[in-house]
Amino acid sequence: MSKNFFELKEYLVLAVLLIVSLALLPFNENPQVKNLRTYAFGYFAFVTESVSEILDVLQPSEKLKKEKKINGKLNLQVNLLREYGLENIQLKKMLQYYDTSKYSLVTAKVVSRLFGGGNGNLILNRGKKDGIETAMPVVDEFGLAGIVTDVSNDFALVRSIRNSNLKVAVVDQRSRVNGVAEWNGSGLVIKNIPASADIQPGDRIITSEFSTIFPPTIPVGIVVRKEINVNGLLGNVLVKPFSFPSKENFLFVVKYIRNEQIDSLKLNLFLRK
Amino acid sequence: MRFVWPLIWFVVLAALQLTVVPMISIGGGIEPNLVLALTVFYGVRYGKITGSVTGFLFGFVFDLISGGLLGSSMFAFTIAGFIAGYYFKEDDFANLYSFNFLFILLYAATVSLFIYALIVYSNINTNIVTLFFERGILPAIYTTIFGLPVLFLKPKDVIR
Repeated sequence: MSKNFFELKEYLVLAVLLIVSLALLPFNENPQVKNLRTYAFGYFAFVTESVSEILDVLQPSEKLKKEKKINGKLNLQVNLLREYGLENIQLKKMLQYYDTSKYSLVTAKVVSRLFGGGNGNLILNRGKKDGIETAMPVVDEFGLAGIVTDVSNDFALVRSIRNSNLKVAVVDQRSRVNGVAEWNGSGLVIKNIPASADIQPGDRIITSEFSTIFPPTIPVGIVVRKEINVNGLLGNVLVKPFSFPSKENFLFVVKYIRNEQIDSLKLNLFLRK
Repeated sequence: MRFVWPLIWFVVLAALQLTVVPMISIGGGIEPNLVLALTVFYGVRYGKITGSVTGFLFGFVFDLISGGLLGSSMFAFTIAGFIAGYYFKEDDFANLYSFNFLFILLYAATVSLFIYALIVYSNINTNIVTLFFERGILPAIYTTIFGLPVLFLKPKDVIR
C-alpha cells in the first residue's frame, strides 16, 4: 500500500513539474519574464565571461580583431555599393531609401552561446552602458548574425539567425523577389515563394527594405536550391547563411537608428507588445 | 551542504556548456549537454523525485541564464531526471559507476533531447525522423561520451 502511494507520489511530482514547465512556455515574451531573464543572464554572464578570459589564448589577437571589424565594415559597404549598382542599372529611384551609409559598429565579445538543439542564442559583453538597445542588428564580418533581444547594463542577449524564432524579411539582390527567411534547424528557408519566381542557385539574399527590424542590404546568405511543392504552385528556397555565429568570438552590433515614423505607426512587429 | 555541491557542479558545467562546448560542436549544432548529464547522474544517484526536481530546477536556471526558451530545458531535464531515477538502487551503486550508467545516460538523453527539439521546433514543419536522429540520438551519443568520467569515480569519491 505504502509502496503504491510512494510510486503515485513520484508520478504526481513529475506531472506537476511537467505542467509547470509547459505552462511557462507561452510566457516567454511576458515583460516580467523578460526582466527576470535579463537579470539572470546579466549576472551569470560575469561567470561565463571569466571562463572566456581563460580561453583567450585560443582567441584572435587584438590586431586580428581590428582587422575583422574593418572586414565587417567593408563587407557592409561593398554590399551597399553592389546594391546601388544594381539599382542604377535598373534605373530605380531611391527617393525613400533609408540612409544606411553611416553604419556604426560596436565590437562585442561573445561570452556565452547556446546552440544546443540547433536554436542559437548568444550573450555579448556590451550592454546599455555601451549604447546597445533592444532590436539592434548584430553582424559578423560576413553578414547578418542576429538581433539583440534583451539588454542589461553590461551584456546583451542576441537571438541568432540560426534560431527558428527569428524571421527576417529578405530580398533576392538580383531579381528583387521578396520573402521571409527563417531557420529550420539545418538551414535558412524562404517559404511559399511562387514557383515562377526568378530565384536561382547562387543568388545573394540580403535584408529587405520592407523589414521594420533590420536595415536594408545586410548580406544574409546565398541561394542553394529551390524546391517546388507537390501542388506545383509554391516552393521553398534554401539559403546558406553567410554568418556562422556559433563559432565567432567577436561580433558587431550595428547601431542602427530605426525610422521613427514607422515605429510610430506601430508597424515594427518586433517591438509591438 | 546537500544542496551546495549540486549547485557548484551546475555552475561549473553550465559555464562550460555556454563557453567551451559550442567550440566542439559538430555538424551544425550537434553538441554534448553537460547539464543534462549531471541531471541524469543525480537521478540515478538519488531516485525519481530528486532526479525530476533537480532536472526541473537545473532546467529553469539554465533556460534563464542561456537565453533559451523558458520551459523547454525545464521540461526536457525533468523527464531525463525521472527516467534516470528508474535505475536508482538504494544502497547499491551498480548502475552508477559502471557501463550501465552510460546506457542510462544514452537512453535518458535521447528521449530528453528529442522532446526538447520537439518543443523548440514546434513552429516549424520538420521531418520528425530527421529531428529524432539529428537532435535526439546524435547529441545523446555525444553527451554519453562526456559521461565516461563517471566510470572512473569510486563510490567513496562520489560527486555529492
